[in-house]
Amino acid sequence: MTLSTINISDRDHQIAKLSAIAVALSLIEFFFPSPIPGVKPGIANIIILYTIFKFDLRMGIWVSIIRVFVTSIILGSFLSPTFFLSLSGALFSLLSLIIFKNLSPKYFSLISFSLIASLAHIVGQFVIVRLWIIPHNGIFYLLPIFILSAFIFGLVNALVTNRLLQLNPKK
Amino acid sequence: MILIRKILQSFKIIKPGDWLIIVLFCALIIISTKFLWNLPQGEYLEIYKNNEILGTYSLNQKITKIINGAKGDTTIIIDNGKVRFASAPCAKKYCIHQGWINKANQIIICIPNKISISILGAKTNYDSINY
Repeated sequence: MTLSTINISDRDHQIAKLSAIAVALSLIEFFFPSPIPGVKPGIANIIILYTIFKFDLRMGIWVSIIRVFVTSIILGSFLSPTFFLSLSGALFSLLSLIIFKNLSPKYFSLISFSLIASLAHIVGQFVIVRLWIIPHNGIFYLLPIFILSAFIFGLVNALVTNRLLQLNPKK
Repeated sequence: MILIRKILQSFKIIKPGDWLIIVLFCALIIISTKFLWNLPQGEYLEIYKNNEILGTYSLNQKITKIINGAKGDTTIIIDNGKVRFASAPCAKKYCIHQGWINKANQIIICIPNKISISILGAKTNYDSINY
């Protein structure tokens, strides 16, 4: 029987480390009380933004998807509506980053990427909620609050990521 | 003080394209608030007993209705466009403490007595949750 080996590259190690930090931040955020249900600071997105800007978009996609799956498994909400909510938010924001990744860095810093991604995140979550979880037009009543929180936390996360990138310059 | 300094520091990072996105975002916030938080004045009142419609009443009158629920009598007062629970046999009286409601799609429910009221606008109401 021949021995088959999986070659683990440095890139895999990097993805694993970053995903671990992202999962840890997700768990901390889960236990942090929030005044309005559903409004979360999304601090794990700091790691994902950091990954995208220090390394590349592919690694960011890996970290984001791994984060969603691992967090839901740890919290016991795998395949529950919460998981699908989280997954759809992550997929929509990654999709928006793929669409907009060619924006020139001379005019658009990571702040606009963060804002675009956070807007896409809540849009993705509202799509899933409207189509499946609460099929009632009344939920759009909550949209202004979520747009405002996406704006504020998108900005805050972008500034924190910027600071992180300053401390760990691209090699 | 440090917070203000941090905010001023952050302004150096923001580039012209970012300002465009920020302005668009703020415009989105204002537009969504204007369009989605503007519930129209209600026209009709629906009273539900045990989740079935007991009756539909116009809001433009001044009457008092007494409905017999699971635990006792509930008094509902309609007063020219607004409506409230005046008395109920429940323990916590949350329904009464809600006060007046007058906009479409607003509801007050009294769970112990199984009575609830819902305001309809001039346009057809959207159906509730259906799985």
